[in-house]
Amino acid sequence: MVTAHLEREFIAAARAAGAEVERFAGITPALDFGRSILRDLDVRDVTVSPDLSFPAARLKGWPILKPGPKKDYLKAGAGLVRADYGISKTGTLVHLDRSDEEKMVWTLPPVCLCLLEAGRIVPDLDVLADVLSRHLDLTDQESPQVSLVTGPSRTADIECELSLGVHGPGRLVVLLFGDEPS
Amino acid sequence: MGPAASLFSCSETSRPEVMKRIDPHLRRILRDFSRGYLQKRENALAGLDFERLRTELSEVKEEALSRCDELVALFEAKASQKGARVYRAADSAEANRRIYEILKSNRARFLVKGKSMVSEETGLNAFLEKRGIKVRETDLGEWIVQLAGDQPTHMVMPAIHLTRRDVARVFSRHLERDVPEEIPALVRLAREELRREIFQAGAGLIGANALVAENGSVLLVTNEGNGRMVSTLPPLLIVLTSIEKILPSTRDALLLLRVLPANATGQNITSYVSFIAPSPEKNLHIILLDNHRSEILKEPVFREILRCIKCSACLNVCPVYQTIGGKRYAHIYMGGIGTLFTAWIHGRAASRDLADYCLSCHRCEAVCAAKIRVPDLVIALRERLNRETGKRLWKRLAFDGVIGHPGVTRALFSSARSAGPLLAGKGEYARRLPPLLRKYDRFRALPRLARQSLLAQAGQKVTQKGDRKGPPRVVLFAGCLVEHFYPRIGLDALRVLERLGYKVALSDSACCGFPAANAGFREAAAKSFRRLAAGLENAEVVLTLCPTCTTMLAQLGPEILGTGPDRHLARRVVPFSRFLFEREWLRLEGLLSSRPPGQPVTYHDSCHHKYVLQASGASRDLLELALGGKLREMESPDSCCGFGGSFSISHPEVSASLIDAKLESIRRSGARVVAMDCPGCVMQIRGGSARRGEKLEVRHTAEILAACLDVKR
Repeated sequence: MVTAHLEREFIAAARAAGAEVERFAGITPALDFGRSILRDLDVRDVTVSPDLSFPAARLKGWPILKPGPKKDYLKAGAGLVRADYGISKTGTLVHLDRSDEEKMVWTLPPVCLCLLEAGRIVPDLDVLADVLSRHLDLTDQESPQVSLVTGPSRTADIECELSLGVHGPGRLVVLLFGDEPS
Repeated sequence: MGPAASLFSCSETSRPEVMKRIDPHLRRILRDFSRGYLQKRENALAGLDFERLRTELSEVKEEALSRCDELVALFEAKASQKGARVYRAADSAEANRRIYEILKSNRARFLVKGKSMVSEETGLNAFLEKRGIKVRETDLGEWIVQLAGDQPTHMVMPAIHLTRRDVARVFSRHLERDVPEEIPALVRLAREELRREIFQAGAGLIGANALVAENGSVLLVTNEGNGRMVSTLPPLLIVLTSIEKILPSTRDALLLLRVLPANATGQNITSYVSFIAPSPEKNLHIILLDNHRSEILKEPVFREILRCIKCSACLNVCPVYQTIGGKRYAHIYMGGIGTLFTAWIHGRAASRDLADYCLSCHRCEAVCAAKIRVPDLVIALRERLNRETGKRLWKRLAFDGVIGHPGVTRALFSSARSAGPLLAGKGEYARRLPPLLRKYDRFRALPRLARQSLLAQAGQKVTQKGDRKGPPRVVLFAGCLVEHFYPRIGLDALRVLERLGYKVALSDSACCGFPAANAGFREAAAKSFRRLAAGLENAEVVLTLCPTCTTMLAQLGPEILGTGPDRHLARRVVPFSRFLFEREWLRLEGLLSSRPPGQPVTYHDSCHHKYVLQASGASRDLLELALGGKLREMESPDSCCGFGGSFSISHPEVSASLIDAKLESIRRSGARVVAMDCPGCVMQIRGGSARRGEKLEVRHTAEILAACLDVKR
C-alpha cells in the first residue's frame, strides 16, 4: 500500500511540473470529475485510450469519439488515458505503451485526463527498472514503448519564456484514485 | 526545396567583419540564461549527490565505450530480431545516402525531424533538399532557425538569440500573413502549423539520447512532445544516431536520466521520455554513425570525449560561449567539447581557431555530467595541432624563443627596465600602445614593469632573516607577474609570513611553464617546469601567490614530464591563503581580533583558485577574519575577468567584454575594494578599472592581510 509520504511527494512534484492533480476515493468520482472538466471546457469529442479496462458503462454520458484514421485524433478536445505507475520523486506518469493509438490519445488532444491508482505510486524509476526492461522485450505488441510523462508539453524556445502545449497537451489533469494511504 | 534565405545570419562577404564584433543583445541573453540555468540546476540537484551520480555515470559510459563493438553488435542483433532494420554508416556521406535510399524506397518525399545533432553533423537537411526531399524541423527552436535560414546558437535552445519580434517576422514571411508578436500566439501558431506538417509527412526522423543494448530500444528525451509525434504519426521512422550512445542496460539508461535533465535544463525530468522498442509492425530504420568515433576510441587521451551526453551544461557556464554564442564558437558542435569533437569529425583545420577560444577556466569540468576534462583535452589538442599543422608565429616567438629560455627572458626584462622611462605612462601603468596595437590596451591599462623585480628588492632581506644554519621552513614562489610587475604583493606576503615567525626563502621566479603548456608548447613548458621543479626539490613547503602557477606545479607540470601527477610535489605546493587558513588561523585570530571593521570589500573568485584548487572558501574566510566582518559579495563573483594569459591577446574583444561585466558586478556590489588571489586577475581588473577612470582598489589577498596586520612597508 502506498504511504502518505509517497502520495504527498507525487502530488507536489506533479504540480511543480505543471500538472493538475485531484484525489478521489474511487474511480467513479474520479470519472465524474473528469466529465465535469469536459463540460466546463465544452469538449464535444473525447478519445479514450484502448487500454482502459473498465466497463464502457462507466463512461456513460461521455462524448466519446471513436477515431478511424489518425487524423481523426485531431478533432478530439480531450483524451482519457491511464498510467501504469506514478513516480513520487518527479511526479511522473509511467505508461507501458502497446500501440500507437495509446500514444496518440496521450499526445494529440489539448487536454489529457489521466487516471492513476494511488497504490501504483512508487518512489523512483529504479524500482521499475526490471518492469520497464521486460516490457521493452515484449515481441507480441504492435508498438512496445515506455513513456514517462511529467506535466504538460512545454517549451521555452522563444525568449526563454515558458509556454505550455506547444506540441502535446497544454493541460494534464491527473485523476488520482483509490484507498487513502496509510 | 532549397534552404531559406537568411533573415539573421551574416552573408558570406560580411561574415569575417561581423565575427569580430560582440553582439550585446546576444551576450545579455546568454548571461541571463546562464544565471537562471544555474539556479534551476541547483534546485534540481538539491538533495542529490551530484558528484556520486556523475562518477557513476562516467564509469558506466567508460565501461560501455570499452565494450563498444560488442554492445553495438548486441543492440544491432536485438533490434533486428524485433523487426528494425539497422545499418552502420562509416561517415556522413554514407549515413545521408542511406537515409535518402530508405526514403526513396518508401516513396517518402517529406521528412519531419525531431532534434538531432547527428543530422547537423552529417549535413542531412541540405543533402536531402538537394535531392528534392522536403525536410521540416519540428522542435520549435530548430524550426524557427530553419525558417530564418539561420544557425542554432545553443544546443538545447537553438533560437535563443532571436526575440519574439524576430520570430514573428520569420513566421509572417513563411505564412505570408501578419503574425502577432506575442509568445502564446506564436507557440499556438507553431502547434497548428507543425501538426499539419507532421500529419502530411511520409517519414519521421529522430536522434537518440541513448541506445539500450540489452533490448534494442532507443531512449528519447524531450520537453515539447514533437519527438513523440514524429516517432508515432508518419508511417516510416528513421533513427539517426552515433555509436557512442550505446549503454548496456535499461538500468544504465535510467541513471543517465537522473543526470541529463537536471544538468541540461535544470529539470528533475523532462516532460516526455520515451524508450522506443522495435516491433515487426513498425517500419523502423536505425542508422548507427561512426564518423571517426572509432578513431577517437583508440586515442588514450581523447577517448573520454565520447562519454559526453550532450547536456550542454558546459556551454551554460562557459564565459567565452556566453560572450560570443554558438554560431561563432562552433563548427557544428559548440564550445570546448565541440572543439574536440570537431577536430576528429570535421577535421583538425576546422578546429584550429576554435581551440584558441578555451580560457582553461575549468568551469565546464565542474558541471560536466560525465567528468570530461575539457580544458586539459583542449590543451592536448593544441599540442596536436601545433605538431600536425604548425605553430602560430607569435606563439613560437613567445614560447619557444623566450619563455623556454630563462636567459633570454631575463635579458628582455632587463632591457625593458633600462627603457623604463620610455615605456612608462601614468602612475603604475605603461604608455599606451601605438594605434595599430590599441585593441590590446583599449579595455585595460597595461602595467609598467616594476623598477626592481621582487628578487632584487627582497632577495637580500630574505636571506638575512632567520637562522641561516637550518634549511628555510617555507619557500615562496611568487610567479612572473608578481616578480616583474607586482613585487609589492610578494613583499607583503613575505612580511605576513615573517610576522608569523616563518623563515622564508624566495624561489627563483623563473616561468613555471604554464603559458607555454596552455598554448600546446609541450617542450618549452617541460623545459621551464623541469628547471623549476629541480630548484624546489628540497623545499618542505612551497607557497604560491598565483593559482595558475600552483596548477602547473602541482598538476599539469608533472603530467607533462610524464611522471603522472606528482603527489609528493602536489602535497608540498600550497596557495598562500590556504596555507594561512589551515595552519595559522588561531594565531591570526589573536593578532587580528581587536581590529574594527573597515570599508566594504568584495571578493573575485579567480578561475584556477576556485575551480582547480578549490581554495576560494579558505580565502574568503581568511579575508573576513582579517577585515573583521563579512565580505560584500558581488553578483556572480566567480565570473571570469577575461585575462586568461595569452587569451586576452588572442581574443581582445572577448576579454574586453568579460572585464566590462566583471567591473559592472563590482560596481553594483558597492564595494570600493576588491580582493583576489591571482596576479593575472589583478592585472586585468586593476588595468580595466584604471582605463575607465574608476577609483577601485584592486588587491591580492596577501596585500590585504599585510595591511590588516599593520605590517610596515
